[in-house]
Amino acid sequence: MNENEFAELAAGHALHALSDADERRYADALAVHPEWAPTVQEDAETAAAMGDAVVPVMPPAGLRDALLAQIAVTPQSDAATDSAPRRSTQPWPRQSPEAEIAPQEHESATRPQRWSRRVFALAASVVLIVGLGITAAVVIPQLAQPASVVALEKIESAADAQQATVELDSGAEATAHWSASVGSAVLVTDGLEALDEDRTYQLWLVRGEQALPAGLFDTDAGAATALLDGAMHEGDVIAVTIEQAGGSPTGAPTTDPIIAIPTA
Amino acid sequence: MLVEMVIDGAEVPEDGSAGDLVADLLVSVARGDQRAFAELYDLLSSRVLGLILRVLVNRAQSEEVLQEVFLEIWQSAARFAPNKGQGRTWVLTIAHRRAVDRVRASQSSSDRDVRAGIRDVGVAHDSVAEQVELSIEGERVVVALKTLPEPQREAIVLSYYGGYSQSEISALIGVPLGTVKTRMRDGLSRLRDEMGVNA
Repeated sequence: MNENEFAELAAGHALHALSDADERRYADALAVHPEWAPTVQEDAETAAAMGDAVVPVMPPAGLRDALLAQIAVTPQSDAATDSAPRRSTQPWPRQSPEAEIAPQEHESATRPQRWSRRVFALAASVVLIVGLGITAAVVIPQLAQPASVVALEKIESAADAQQATVELDSGAEATAHWSASVGSAVLVTDGLEALDEDRTYQLWLVRGEQALPAGLFDTDAGAATALLDGAMHEGDVIAVTIEQAGGSPTGAPTTDPIIAIPTA
Repeated sequence: MLVEMVIDGAEVPEDGSAGDLVADLLVSVARGDQRAFAELYDLLSSRVLGLILRVLVNRAQSEEVLQEVFLEIWQSAARFAPNKGQGRTWVLTIAHRRAVDRVRASQSSSDRDVRAGIRDVGVAHDSVAEQVELSIEGERVVVALKTLPEPQREAIVLSYYGGYSQSEISALIGVPLGTVKTRMRDGLSRLRDEMGVNA
């Protein structure tokens, strides 16, 4: 490939207009000719400048809050810069049930926090979609649990109703609906795998360093609408684990979370 | 001579060489600095949303993509190389790529054909030019765009603001793919000269 041909690819690349095949040709050529990188950078700067010719649009305030809550539990890609302060800002539940009784006695700098690490990894693997001021009523075809549906309607009609959706690797989706003023949260799932009879899904409200058990739920063809037991507080993380039938015997999560949705 | 101008409320030397605030923030974000992330968001989120909305049109989808963009910034800030380019360019490039990916994934080409008819190329710069809120940099781009020959302007406006690929543009305006590629390169090159962008 000559430099002139590459210049065409570089312009198309900067405008994100190349076909997949041309994108590969571009990358291959650049790998062979690193001296052409200045052309790429010039085109990138020029294209980005076109972004300045667009009228700015202010995002809703709630989106900022949601993002800041989300990054607080989202790890960054470069392990080399994995700094201690970032980890220390993330309160996550401990596994021992005694923690609720004597939180300080078991404090240890070397506590592995395996569970919380799994939560971080989980949070990084999903795209969280946060909605505010929901206008459309949520319609769930399988209204298996009236109490949860009643709660959901109450949440949705509150002025501070919020919701956040995560998509799991399996393609399943989970949407948490909550309202701090109502003080409750409902999790709606779709596509979760069916569990054997000896296992169940368990809900948790993670508050500070505690994981409060918030009830069990089963799915109907992957779908469920579950009201979380207990008063939900703003800032709680809504989490789901798979536990033995009847729920975790220790009152604390015994498995890695499959869902973790921060509220804020 | 050091000419100061205001971009998004931050004073930035016009030549861009002395101090790149966005780059500095990105370096801090790469170290896990959540406060720097918030500052970066405050500085660029409305600009980024404006760009995404321009491509996607749909407001709800645009806000979702805005979240994806800033999440990616948080996760991959360590990949930003301050010695290889401006922070602002890095952020806007991510935003544009994600907006384009989303528009191609979520909107059928027939929908977009209709949309292209509604906001055709001529509208693209005229409506922009009417806006008084534009930064100095933005005005410079609008003026520069107007100097381009129509075929070149059409090619880069359709791709950048419309999210169309080269082959889509070829089909849309009925010219060979090779011609679209050439127009795009010539247009971008000329735009750079007109704006005086120096990398």
